[in-house]
Amino acid sequence: MAEQDTLNVKVVGPTPTWPNKLLKKNYEVFEHTADIGLRVRGKDLQELFVNAGLAIFQISSRKQFTKSKIHANIQIKLKAENLENLFVDWLNELLSLSQAKGLIFHGIKIQSLVENSLEAVAVGSDIANYKVNTEIKAATYHELKINHDEQGYQAEVILDV
Amino acid sequence: MFNAQDVPLEKIDDVRWRIPKSFKPGMRVPGLIYADEKLLKDIRRDKALEQVANVAFLPGIVNASLAMPDIHWGYGFPIGGVATTDIEAGGVVSPGGVGFDINCGVRLVKTNLQYDDIKEKIKDLTYALFSDVPAGVGTKGDIRVTAKEEKQILVKGSKWAVEQGFGTEEDLECTEENGAIEGANPEAVSERAYERGRAQAGTLGSGNHFLEVQVIDQLYSRDLCDEFGLDVGQVMVMIHSGSRGFGYQICEDYVKSMMPSLTKYGINIPDRQLVCAPVNSPEAKLYLGAMRCAANYAWNNRQCLMHLARQTFERVLGTSWQKMGMQLIYDVAHNIAKIEKYEVEGKMKLLCVHRKGATRAFGPGNPALPERYKQTGQPVIIPGDMGRNSYLLVGTKKAEEETFGSTCHGAGRVKSRTASARSTDLHTLLKELESQGIIVKASGRATVVEEAPAAYKDVNDVVNVVHNAGLAKRVCRMRPVGVIKG
Repeated sequence: MAEQDTLNVKVVGPTPTWPNKLLKKNYEVFEHTADIGLRVRGKDLQELFVNAGLAIFQISSRKQFTKSKIHANIQIKLKAENLENLFVDWLNELLSLSQAKGLIFHGIKIQSLVENSLEAVAVGSDIANYKVNTEIKAATYHELKINHDEQGYQAEVILDV
Repeated sequence: MFNAQDVPLEKIDDVRWRIPKSFKPGMRVPGLIYADEKLLKDIRRDKALEQVANVAFLPGIVNASLAMPDIHWGYGFPIGGVATTDIEAGGVVSPGGVGFDINCGVRLVKTNLQYDDIKEKIKDLTYALFSDVPAGVGTKGDIRVTAKEEKQILVKGSKWAVEQGFGTEEDLECTEENGAIEGANPEAVSERAYERGRAQAGTLGSGNHFLEVQVIDQLYSRDLCDEFGLDVGQVMVMIHSGSRGFGYQICEDYVKSMMPSLTKYGINIPDRQLVCAPVNSPEAKLYLGAMRCAANYAWNNRQCLMHLARQTFERVLGTSWQKMGMQLIYDVAHNIAKIEKYEVEGKMKLLCVHRKGATRAFGPGNPALPERYKQTGQPVIIPGDMGRNSYLLVGTKKAEEETFGSTCHGAGRVKSRTASARSTDLHTLLKELESQGIIVKASGRATVVEEAPAAYKDVNDVVNVVHNAGLAKRVCRMRPVGVIKG
């Protein structure tokens, strides 16, 4: 259980093998004077949350080394007043856990997403294996948009960097 | 699509512009922008002015929603804004009005070294500072603190560092609030914030944070420079950093937990990121208790960083920091909410002053100043970008009368990080800076191109406006020679 001691997190089983690819077409960065705007898409709400969660790490870090074998699967449970708040809470929880535990998340499995409640497992590897270019402080509510049409869901969020 | 040109502006004089209250129904006061024609062109390029108007919705806001010449588009509040609320009249405090990086701020250290004496050693010094001062994203510091020590830091601020031998009593005297604001409540801090903060004590961070070796290149007031013991060619050290992940978590926790306050207290605001609660409410008291913990964390952090810089100077130049005269001139916060007393319509009132990208600028004689600055006024430190200048100014009585003792905080961004990175070639930029005698060491390529001088307004223009408006008085100007970025 050395890993658990080092990370002080609840490790729930081995690194999962579910496919969790973030496709380029599913996210883009847009201009904001001081911060970063992120636009994310998903065919459904679950995929939107997965893609947004992966995108914040994809735009800020790059895997460069294999110095450390430390990894952890972290269970996340959130409840919010509405969908917009849940979306911001979700990104902030991932950013906060990333910094507190020294992990970069590269895999996400949504276990349930109903009535503004979320249960998910996030898979992270030791930050030592990554070159982190940008420190994202938090996701904000400013000009937050979540829309959906027959194509699926799209969200826009401003990240404070 | 919103057009920034649509925000109506009435010219008051060459450096003051008003957004009338009639611009948006719900504005309780007008907006007041300090800028000249040149800076206004940049300001109008994004949504900063609309944000100034949004802040005017805050319950209890007094006089005007103020914006300094370095104002730019933030997330909710504009960066470079001052929002002051009347506590007795139900005035609010907003975590977004302070921001994620609580007590982000700057300190300026003087030396008795002349540039010519260390010209040949600037490269060694910059590289040594880069290796000794932990910088970059998620960096862990060499100054390790236990959970118990972290709690002490939240109450003691810089005094904790001084007790460890990382500085002197004089350093505390030369720090806003003596490096520890009263009313910090460690019980109001979440476990997660403790966890995020613990690893990062004594680290610089990334983004626009920096440590610079600078040289004074212009004096504006011989008398004031004599008071501060400053002259042309003198080597200075400037440190820009904040409360790191600890502060981010506190802001995040309270932006989230204050959401129900909007309904509870019947508050109407145009942007959720402006979420707030009356200063006297239990919700606000908890936030202020936690925010002050982060402020103290940040002051301690900058004290530790200065200690590391002093040690590096000792190692590279082979003499003690005392012999090199490395005295702290001052340390100021530029993201903070303070409870201060001002006269409003002939009555003394207790107000909550949000400075979000704004610096306190108390004038001569203010009781909050240490004896040594009672005559001069409070030192105000304005960092610029890595290729141009930074300034030392002093606060004024006029700032106390007009802007609740506040002035600008820096150059202010004009280009987004992505646009700056796109239009900047790293090697060309580094060569160009080196040809100007500026050595840059950064942990990431991205930071340098995102923070390129062209991404910022010219700090000289910004400082001209606050000087001409009387919100601070120029003392001297510095130029960078060694830059450490995260």
